[in-house]
This record gives sequence, C-alpha cells and structure tokens, in this order.
Amino acid sequence: MEILYLLIPLSVVVVLGIIVIFWWALQSGQLDNIEREGERILRAD
Amino acid sequence: MSLTMKASQATAYNDTVVRQFAIMTVVYGVVGMLVGVIIAAQLTWPELNLGIEYLTYGRLRPLHTNAVIFAFGGCGLFATSYYVVQRTCQTRLISDKLAAFTFWGWNLVIVLAVVTLPLGLTAGKEYAELIWPIDILIAVVWVAYAIVFFGTVGIRKVRHIYVGNWFYGAFILAVALLHIVNSMALPTSLTHAYSAYAGVQDAMVQWWYGHNAVGFFLTAGFLGMMYYFIPKQAGRPVYSYRLSIVHFWALIFTYMWAGPHHLHYTALPDWTQSVGMTFSLILLAPSWGGMINGIMTLSGAWHKLRDDPILRFLIVSLSFYGMSTFEGPMMSIKTVNALSHYTDWTVGHVHSGALGWVGLITMGSMYYLIPRLFGQKQMHSMRAVEIHFWTATIGIVLYIAAMWIAGVMQGLMWRSVNPDGSLTYTFVESVKATFPFYVIRLLGGLLYLGGMVLMLWNVLMTAFKGQATEVRIPAVAAAHA
Amino acid sequence: MNQATTAPLQGRHRVGAEAEPEVLALDATFSERPRGPLTVTDNFAVLDDPIEQREFTQFAEIDGRRMAQSVLMVQGMFCAACADTVEDALCHLPGVVKAEVHAATRRLTVQWDPALTRASALAQAVGRAGYRLLPLHEALSITQRIAESRKVLWRLFVAGICMMQVMMYAWPAYITEPGDIPPDIEHLLRWASWVLSLPVLLFASGSFFSGAWRDLKQGRVGMDTPVSIGILVTFVASSLATFDPNGPWGHEVWYDSLTMFVFFLMGGRYLEFKARDRTAGALDNLMNRLPEVCDRRRSDGQFEPVSVRRLEVGDVVRVQAGQAFPGDGVLIQMNATVDEALLTGESHPVIRQVGESVVAGSYNLAGPVEVRVDKLGKDTRFAQIVSLMEKASTEKPRLAVLADRIAGPFLSLVLLGAVVSGVYWWQIDHDRALAVAVAVLIVTCPCALSLATPAAMLASAGSLARRGVLVRRLQAFENLANVHTVVFDKTGTLTHDKLQLVAIHVREGASQADVLALGGALASGSLHPASKALVAASQEGWGGLTLPPVDVVSTTETVGQGLAALVNGSDRLWLGSATFCGVSGEALARGESPRVHLADEKGWLATFELEESLRGDAVEAVMALKAAGVTTWLLSGDLPQAAHRVASLVGVDHVVSGATPEQKLQQIARLQEQGFKVAMVGDGVNDGPVLARSDASFALGTAAPLAQANSDFVIQGGRLKDVVSALGQARSTMRVVHQNLAWAAAYNAVSVPLALLGYMPPWAAGLGMAISSFWVIGNALRLNRVL
Repeated sequence: MEILYLLIPLSVVVVLGIIVIFWWALQSGQLDNIEREGERILRAD
Repeated sequence: MSLTMKASQATAYNDTVVRQFAIMTVVYGVVGMLVGVIIAAQLTWPELNLGIEYLTYGRLRPLHTNAVIFAFGGCGLFATSYYVVQRTCQTRLISDKLAAFTFWGWNLVIVLAVVTLPLGLTAGKEYAELIWPIDILIAVVWVAYAIVFFGTVGIRKVRHIYVGNWFYGAFILAVALLHIVNSMALPTSLTHAYSAYAGVQDAMVQWWYGHNAVGFFLTAGFLGMMYYFIPKQAGRPVYSYRLSIVHFWALIFTYMWAGPHHLHYTALPDWTQSVGMTFSLILLAPSWGGMINGIMTLSGAWHKLRDDPILRFLIVSLSFYGMSTFEGPMMSIKTVNALSHYTDWTVGHVHSGALGWVGLITMGSMYYLIPRLFGQKQMHSMRAVEIHFWTATIGIVLYIAAMWIAGVMQGLMWRSVNPDGSLTYTFVESVKATFPFYVIRLLGGLLYLGGMVLMLWNVLMTAFKGQATEVRIPAVAAAHA
Repeated sequence: MNQATTAPLQGRHRVGAEAEPEVLALDATFSERPRGPLTVTDNFAVLDDPIEQREFTQFAEIDGRRMAQSVLMVQGMFCAACADTVEDALCHLPGVVKAEVHAATRRLTVQWDPALTRASALAQAVGRAGYRLLPLHEALSITQRIAESRKVLWRLFVAGICMMQVMMYAWPAYITEPGDIPPDIEHLLRWASWVLSLPVLLFASGSFFSGAWRDLKQGRVGMDTPVSIGILVTFVASSLATFDPNGPWGHEVWYDSLTMFVFFLMGGRYLEFKARDRTAGALDNLMNRLPEVCDRRRSDGQFEPVSVRRLEVGDVVRVQAGQAFPGDGVLIQMNATVDEALLTGESHPVIRQVGESVVAGSYNLAGPVEVRVDKLGKDTRFAQIVSLMEKASTEKPRLAVLADRIAGPFLSLVLLGAVVSGVYWWQIDHDRALAVAVAVLIVTCPCALSLATPAAMLASAGSLARRGVLVRRLQAFENLANVHTVVFDKTGTLTHDKLQLVAIHVREGASQADVLALGGALASGSLHPASKALVAASQEGWGGLTLPPVDVVSTTETVGQGLAALVNGSDRLWLGSATFCGVSGEALARGESPRVHLADEKGWLATFELEESLRGDAVEAVMALKAAGVTTWLLSGDLPQAAHRVASLVGVDHVVSGATPEQKLQQIARLQEQGFKVAMVGDGVNDGPVLARSDASFALGTAAPLAQANSDFVIQGGRLKDVVSALGQARSTMRVVHQNLAWAAAYNAVSVPLALLGYMPPWAAGLGMAISSFWVIGNALRLNRVL
C-alpha cells in the first residue's frame, strides 16, 4: 500500500493546515459572538 | 487603482455573472437529466444504443454524470457562491474580469466534455473521466474561482464570515486538492495519459477523490447554499448557529477518510477497508448535525411549508440528505456492502442524494434567486413551481424505490447458492429480473426531467418578463462588527 | 501559552501618579519562592489609586480600625489547589486579615488593613506565586472574557482534531492481528501519530504542565500533577517505541489514549468555563448595561458627550432610547418608559412620571429623556446589587470546603499508588507497567469532588439571578433545602409595603388637618410602610385637607414600635403602635385594619386607620409552600385582628401577633430548639436580627436599602412566589450536589482499584475520567434551566 506514503503525510499536512486556519478564525474574532451571527443573515442585503 | 480598492468602492453587486451561471444551471440541468433519461432507457432497452458509437451507453454515462455534477451542480455552486459571498460580505466581487473568466472557462470545460466523452476520450476514472488537457483547464478555472471567492471574503465589510462561506471555502479548497492529486498523469498524446498511480494504489486514490468529491463538492458546497437560502426563504435564523460551526469543523475532517468503503472486498487490504468503514460510520453524526440544523430552522413555523413550495423544495431536500447520509454509512458496513456492492442499490443511493438533496436544494435556491436577479418579486408561475415540486418528489421516490428493490434482489440472486455449491442464478437471469424496475426508474427519471423542463420554461419566462437590475450594496455603519 | 503580555493595567496613564509605594517587609520564606507560570511584571501601583480602588474595595470600621475589603479576580488558576496557593500567598502578609478564593469563579475576597499594607503589595505577592490579580470590573470586561474563552476553545479544538486523526491512524492496530500490516506502513502510521500528538502536547496541554510545575515548586500535589505525569510518560514511551521499536521500552504506542484524554480533559475544562461564564454573564449583563459615554447638559444648555466616570451628582443627562441610565436619578421634563428587569426580573415596560426616580442600569425604552442624577457609581442601587452578587460567590459553602480538604491527600495517595503499581508490574511485563501506571494517574478524578458543590450552587445562583432573586451566600442553598418551616413577616411581606390612609379618628377638639400634618412630619424619614403612608397622605392633600406647617425639632425612631419627636418648640409627640403611644381602651378594638396612633403629653390624640392590601401572589405562594410540605407561620408586631385577618386570607398554619422584635426572635429560637429549620421572609426594615437568626432568610428588596437586608436571598421583584421557586431550586441543588459527591466517590472507589490491578487500558482511563467530569458538570448545568 505504497500509496499511503502519499495519503498519510498529506493528511498530516491537511490537519496542520486546518489547525492554522482555526487559529486564524479564533484570533480574528470569528467565534466570539456566535449567538448573534445567525440573526444577521435576515437583515436586508 | 488596485483591484481591491476598485472593488471596495463599488456601490453595486456584480449580479451579471450570477445571472449567467444561474440560467446555465437550469439549462444544464435539463441537458444532464435528458442524458440520464436516455441512458436509463438504454439500460432498459439496449436497442436504443442504435449502433452509433457516440450514443453508446458506455460513452453517454460519464457525460451524464459530468453534466449533472459539474455542469448542473457546478454552475449552481458558482451562481450561489458568488451571490452569497457578495451579500454576506456586503461587497462586490473582487474582480469582475476573473469572475467572467470562470464563467466562460467553466462553460468551455463543459462543452469540451460534451465533445470528448461521446468521442470515447476518457481517463477512465469515475467523476474524473475528462482527459488531461481539460483537467488543466479545470485547474486554471478553479484557481481563478478561489481567487475571486477568497479575495472577496478578504475585502469584506462585515467582520464575521457567515458560516455558509466557510462551507463554500472548504469546498473550493478541497476540490482543488482532490482534483490535482487524482488527476496526476503522464500524457502520451493530446488525448491520452497514464495515471500516475497504478492498480490498487490508483483505486485508493481514485476513491479518496471520489468520495471526497461527494463530500465536498456535493455536500459541503451545497450546505453552504442551504445555510443561506433556507433562512432567507423561511425568514428565520438558522436553528443553532453554534451547531452549524461545530458541524462544519467535524464534517471536514471526518470526510477525508471514508473513501475505502467504495473498495470493500477488492484487492485493497482488509484493514484499510475497515478503517474506511469506521470513519464512514462516524461521519453520520456531523452530517445529521447539518440536517437537523436546517430542518429545525422551521421550528415554530412549520405552517409555512403549506403555502410555500420553494420552502418545500429546500426542506425536503434536507430530508433526503438525512436519508442518504444514513443510508451511506449503513452501506459502508462490510456485511451490508457484501450484498449491495455492484448492485443497483448503490445507484439508488447515489440518486437519492443527487436527485433528493443536490437537485432539490439547487432548484429551491434557483427559485429564490432568479426572480431577484431579474427584478421580480417571484417566479413567473408559482403554480408551475408547485407542480415541479410534486413531479420531482414523485420522480425521486419512484426512482429510488425501484433501485432499492432491484439492488437487493440482485444481491440476493447473485449470492444465492445451491446445496451443491453452484450458483442458483445466472447473471442474465438477474438482468431479466431487473427489467421492470428499470422501467419504473425510467418513469421516475422522466418525471424528474419533466419537472426540470417546466422549470426551464418558468425561468425563461421570468427572465424575459423582468429585467436585469443593479442591486446597490447597503451602506454599512462604521461601527459594524 | 501565557498571557503575560496583555495586562490590562499596563499603559495606564494617570495624572498626578503617586510615588512608587515602599516595598513592605515580607515574610522571608515567601520571598524566596520563585516566579510561577504567569510572569507577572505589572506595575500594580494603579491599584492604590483611590479612584480605581473604589471600583473593587469597600472600607468599614471594625473594632475601631479602618479595614478594607477587596474583591478581585485571579487569573491563571483552575481548581481548588490553586485557590490554596493564592490564599497562602496572601495570608502570610502582614496586614491581611482574611483571604478567600472561590475556585469556580476565581474571585478573591481579601480583608486587609490599609495602615499596614497596600493593594499593590497584595497583587505583587500573588504575582510572585504565579497568578495575576485583576480588579473585578476589569476582569468582567468583555475583552478579558473573550480572550479566555478563545484560549479554552483553541485548546479544545487542537486536542479534538488531532485526536480524531490520531485515532484514525491507531485504528488499524486494533482491528488487525500483528503482522497483517506491513512493518513499514505500521511505522508510517506511528510517525504520523507522533507528529499530530505534538500540537496536543504543545498547545492543548499547556495549562496542565504549568499548573503541575507550579505545584511542584511549592512542594504540593495538585490536580494537574497526575495528569501531567500521565501525559508525559505516555508521550515519551510512545515516542521511544516509535523511533526505536526494538528497544527496551517495548513497542506499544498510546498516542490515541494520550490525545483522547487531553481532549476529554479540555472538554471538561470547557464546560466548566462555560458554566462560570454563564453566571459571570448574568453579572456581566448587569455590568455591561452601564453606558460608557452619555450626554450631559452644559451650562449653556447644550448637551455634550462625557464619560460616565466624570458625572457628578446634580448633573443633568440626556439618555437616549435603548441606553441605560448612568446613575440613579429623577426624571425632569418628560415621562419615561423603562425596563427594570435588572431589578425585578420582569421585562414589562414601566412608566415613570416626571419627578419619579429611575435606577442606574435600567434601560430607557421610549424617546430620549432627561434625568437629574442623584447617585452615582458605588452608591447606586445597581452597584449594591452587583456588590451583593460578588460577595455571594466568594464565600465557600461548607461542603465545598470539605471536598477541598479531601482532594489534596487523595491525590498524593494516587501518585503513590501509581508508582507502586508501576514498580510491581515492571517485574512482570514492561509494557503493562507503563500502561497501568498511566491508567492509575489518569483515571482518578478529584476534580469531580471539588467541582461537585460549587458547580451546582453557581448554576442555581445564576438561574435565580436571571429571575430576579439574588443569592448572597451559596451556603444558603444547603440551609434552605432543609427548611420545613417558613415564617412570614406581615406588613410589607405578605402585604404590599405600601399602606394607604383610609380614616383619621381624632380626639375631641383636634382637627384632622392638624394631626395629619403632625403625623406626616414625624413620619417623614422613617421607612416603615405606615410612616410612608402618612407622609404620602400628608403630601397629597388627603381628604382635601390643607395642612398647617409643622416644625419638627427632633425625632427618634424606635424600630418596630414608633417615633418620638419634639415639635413646634416643645411639644412632645409619639407616633406608633398602641403600646408605644401608651394608648388603650376606646381607641382600640375598632376593626382589623392596621392603625397608627398619635399621642401627645395629654394622651391619645389621633388614630390613623391604614389599609394594607395583600400581595397578589401571597395566597398562591402559601398554598404552594404547604403543598411542598412546609409549615407556614405569620409573625407580626401588629394587632391580633389585623394579623388574623391577613392570616386567614392567606392561609398560614400559625399566627403570632403583637410581637416585639425580641419576641419574634424568641419565637424563631423556640422553633429551632424544637428541631425545625426555619426560613424567614421579611421586608428587611426591622427584621434584621430575625433574618440573621433564621437558617435561611429572604428579603423583599423593594423598599429598604439593600445594605440593611441581612438576608441570604433578596427577591427583587417582590414576588412571594419566588420564595417557593427558591425553595424548589435549593432542594434540587442539594439533590444534585449529593448526586455529584456520591458519583465522585463511587467512581473513584471503583476505577482506581481496577486500574491498580491492571484491568484498565489507558484509553479507558481517559474515557472514564472524562465521563466523570462531564457527568458532574452536566448534572450541575441542569440547574441552569428555569424551573
């Protein structure tokens, strides 16, 4: 199953990437005031 | 003036590209489903291959799958993602030129598919049949798409990125990764290449791609659609915004490893198959999180379903989504798979997801979108929308019921063994037994196609009646969070 | 990850800064202790600034000395053991009388002598122990809480995603026989697991390691110690097995167990944080409703925006619709529609007329109004409420103290057990030894024990706060749960505290106008409902009477009895109960309504007949209490007829009338001697000692200043039904507490032996511990739901 030598390191990289993205989301305040954000969609756009 | 400055100073949304994609979604819907009906008819009556090589089942099938997934589904995703990202970020698309490029580029991909596939030019990989030059074109268009989408998010005027955009974003990035890895090939001519992978290794990559195509193209992307259009049409916020975020993160990293369940009882090592099975089962939870979230948005307002056919499209699509995401994990269990693999049950499962979830959510979203794109309050004929809903739903039910019965029957027939160890049935006998169900399936498909044709009429009437208006971007207060 | 860089106190810029305070002589052993996990380099001088200090410190005379009591937040701690460290750090300082930290809310209440030490010195001492003190209003500010919330979520997420992926890599090993997976693939899977365990170690486990390190330096065993050791041992052993598969460390890897138990631990921490956050949020909701900036009228009549801190009593401010009133004040020029939910728990808009008062923190609903400010900052009703709430959460309930005491030694035993079992199993099987030791370390959950009580009580306190019932002492939940007798005061409690004058009987020769004027004059300033009725009547021109002016020289109030005064030069008057006025005979025995008598040196002068109406929900409340198995009493200083009238209307079981405060006290004592646990419901004015004496006490807080209420529960909205719900809440709370404690004990009793004997694989230990914590917290969170 040599293909795992591609797929598994790839998955490690993807997970690390996801962690970085989550870090960014957290620090930029995306997850601070969750309860209110759902309502925002109903405002006129 | 820099790209971003120009875009941030724009006062109206770019709905031109949205309109273009939206119309084409419906057009390709008809095309893709028509091809589907043709090949269904061919399975029922093989004479319909007509002896013409370009019209043989083997060549039309990939045309059908590519047309419904990438043409119909793809254009729907382009249209809605461009619409949603602009409105939730309160800014125009970062580049009209690049967006236009994605439109023409994507349509070129589709046209090339329509030409090459009946010609018999194929890479032989499911949902990745297109030959290598077209793969490169896809990659280029996709990069442009990513720039437009993420660039627009980058110049947003609203700090919070609405959850629907996260789904769209994940879909774009995942598809890029999947497409590039799976399409790695060594060309030998303009129309032929050898896959970079071989044998069972290739199978593993292919189904890592294949299942994630389902997971990210057909699920994550359309969940992005769902999270915008259901609250908008229902006039209520998502049931639990917190849940939507949690299930987003849970979904994206569980999906990656469900692929092996396509390869049960093949040359793939046993333990790899088992891993795939386990993670397919785990996938049930985040999927249902999304379904519950969407359906419960109507909590306290179920009566709206009575009077609003568009809402019905949207909510019923979620029920099919829930059903498929339950059926899928069940089918990935090895013992179940031993019965279902290679039968029409798999086809039934695919179509309950495709017709039920992807189809209905796209239709509902288009019915919301198109009037607004043409300055109208609603579609030309709500009666037609109503009829469409019923024909589509009945069509789906006929389709999947026929395929379930056929599939289980085939599985049972194939495994049936006489006391002396010989097979009870020949393969041909199972084919004969399946015949009536193919007829029913064809009928279901015809109904579904019929509904789509009705939709095309409705859409064109709405478009001609109305006019393409510019929608101003509302001024955002300085203290916007 | 330390938050050492963003101390909210840095960068503060004060005009006229005080000179750097002298470093006071500290306990020698203490100064030798090295710095802790938080590197605290803040300049705490600002804590000594009187204006800042006002926000978190109150001063009072105790035994002739001026003492300070401060409430501050402690940053950097999680559990009972941490609280001990902070308390130790402070108790050794000269000038500190008492220091108590409430673990679940991280609030510190410290009593200190301003003559001997300074607030900055306290903060420095705590800083040396590795924690940071923050003045409470800062601590409650949104940025702080958001930062903490983010940190907790980050750790949970990293642990979660790495756990999922590592589990996937580990899964093949569980479902195959040795040899099924080619060795190179096996190595690949382990390598990948190792890589993804690193983020868990680096990002998600930080708090355990820093906590354990801190405890280690102080020579104690804390809750983080076994966890940290477990994580490290597992990781190191697994790494060795991965990179040197043929070495002496065996070839078992436990990356999946490792990531799983960090994830579960973080999950528990997350839930705990959320529970605390929610209660702080109920408070925060109060705090955050004060506007930072408001429009003040200048001398030229124009309005200019000024910071709320710069307002002074007498300022006229304009409050827009949707803004909260910045101080207590009086409406001028126009009526206002206000939302006083923060006081009463009810969101009905209330109309306040011109000339009526509005309360700081309540919302102005309709159009902009102008208010002349009477009270600001600490003097406002709002501030008093917040102060009550803060004090409540720092006092530790009895059961929690008990649990904390058990946790410490228990942990030491566990460590010992882990070592012993490890050594024992090492003789038998190396791999097994590690697995067993790790399992013992991980499976134990003293956190459940320490969390059991506070989590439940806090959740209940939060739930009640949202309904307008403030809890002053968490211990009150335990007391109230055992109560089977409830004693009600009459006037102002079962009945509205507003009395109305219905009739005036006068002595021959006296005029109603005169006596009303006299009565009103004497009564002004007294908070007794009868007094207020008289004052209201005299001011509103009751009966169309025109009242002559009265010159009151002096007044003395005898609580519960009446007022004596000197008026118009030298006339002595008494206003009050029959006994007080020395009235008898004819003047009495005239129906059941409450009366107040006026007597002068000649004797009886007048009788004011007042009418009191029953509170709307009084009957319902008493019925509900009886249904709950509670015996009800009415204890009143009023006449038998009045008392019995109300008693029969309401349906109480027993009545005592004509009781002086001392007699009321005796009655309570008698009931307690008989073995009953008594709860008292009063209006706080003259029931102080009685409320204090009862096992649990309720004050209806509408009329009397809160400072006078010496009660466990303050019912803001004056709804008697809240007594019933508080009783129900208390009983549920204790039920949950007992469930939690029983669970914690049983769980440890079963799982630790299992682990010692080698029947528990590490992943099961992690799972067990997680379930244990979740169970306790989840059980407590149920109390958050409004009953």
